Amino acid sequence: MSPHVLNVVWIALMAATAVTWFVGEIHAAGPKAVAVILAIAGVKGWLVIYDFMALRRVKFLWRAVVLGWLLLVLAIIMLAYWLGLK
Amino acid sequence: MTAHARRHGHALAEYPPGDLAIWVFILAELLAFGVLFAAYAITRLKNLDLFNEMQLTLNRDAGALNTLLLITGSWFVARAVAAIKADRRHGAANFLLAGIASGFAFLVVKYFEYSAKFDAGISLDTNTFYMFYISLTMFHALHVVLGMVILGFVWNKARQGAYTAREHHGIETGASYWHMVDLVWIILFPLVYVMR
Repeated sequence: MSPHVLNVVWIALMAATAVTWFVGEIHAAGPKAVAVILAIAGVKGWLVIYDFMALRRVKFLWRAVVLGWLLLVLAIIMLAYWLGLK
Repeated sequence: MTAHARRHGHALAEYPPGDLAIWVFILAELLAFGVLFAAYAITRLKNLDLFNEMQLTLNRDAGALNTLLLITGSWFVARAVAAIKADRRHGAANFLLAGIASGFAFLVVKYFEYSAKFDAGISLDTNTFYMFYISLTMFHALHVVLGMVILGFVWNKARQGAYTAREHHGIETGASYWHMVDLVWIILFPLVYVMR
């Protein structure tokens, strides 16, 4: 990965973290706020997997396993949160 | 696949960067953390009021700062890999050292965070929330320490000029593990510190 791409990804990850921090700061609760922070975690995880771990240019199976882990864990967290609303 | 194709991304690599053994280890670690995160989410479901109340006692700023530190550490180490691929050996070693320093800063923040909690008399026995908070974050912190040990070993070899643009398997191995530690925290922070 070129240094330039890595720098852009780093700035994006820092900015995304600031958004999650802000959601916490205003004590935002409820499914919308949780969907936002989990989606942000998903995008951040995706960037780390693709550009930092450099799996972007590795055979699909490897990417599928790690991305699959990310999406599965986030889905379980969202589902458990959802069940708690009832 | 030729070196030309690899450089220009015309073909996909057969294996991820670094030693295959570290990837088996990384996948096992991801599985372990995945189970712990699911256990946290499900236990929270059964103790909603407790988890929502106790979460407010956490130091969210420290959690966010630590997220920034791990992301930055990950970025430094990714830059180390990019540097050695350009045969910038001195630069690669320095980026690795900066990555280790980020991990150290993470542990310093964690030390102050834990101190405040332990001074307030909080322990694993306080309640279910704190049992999870302490064990989950300490388990993760152990991985930060292990990542720093691996990077320290790689840095030591790098500063002696052991890696080149052609041979830098060791740096990629350490980097892959370090990114895993970052990836796990990216989920842990919103899950434990923010979600309510």
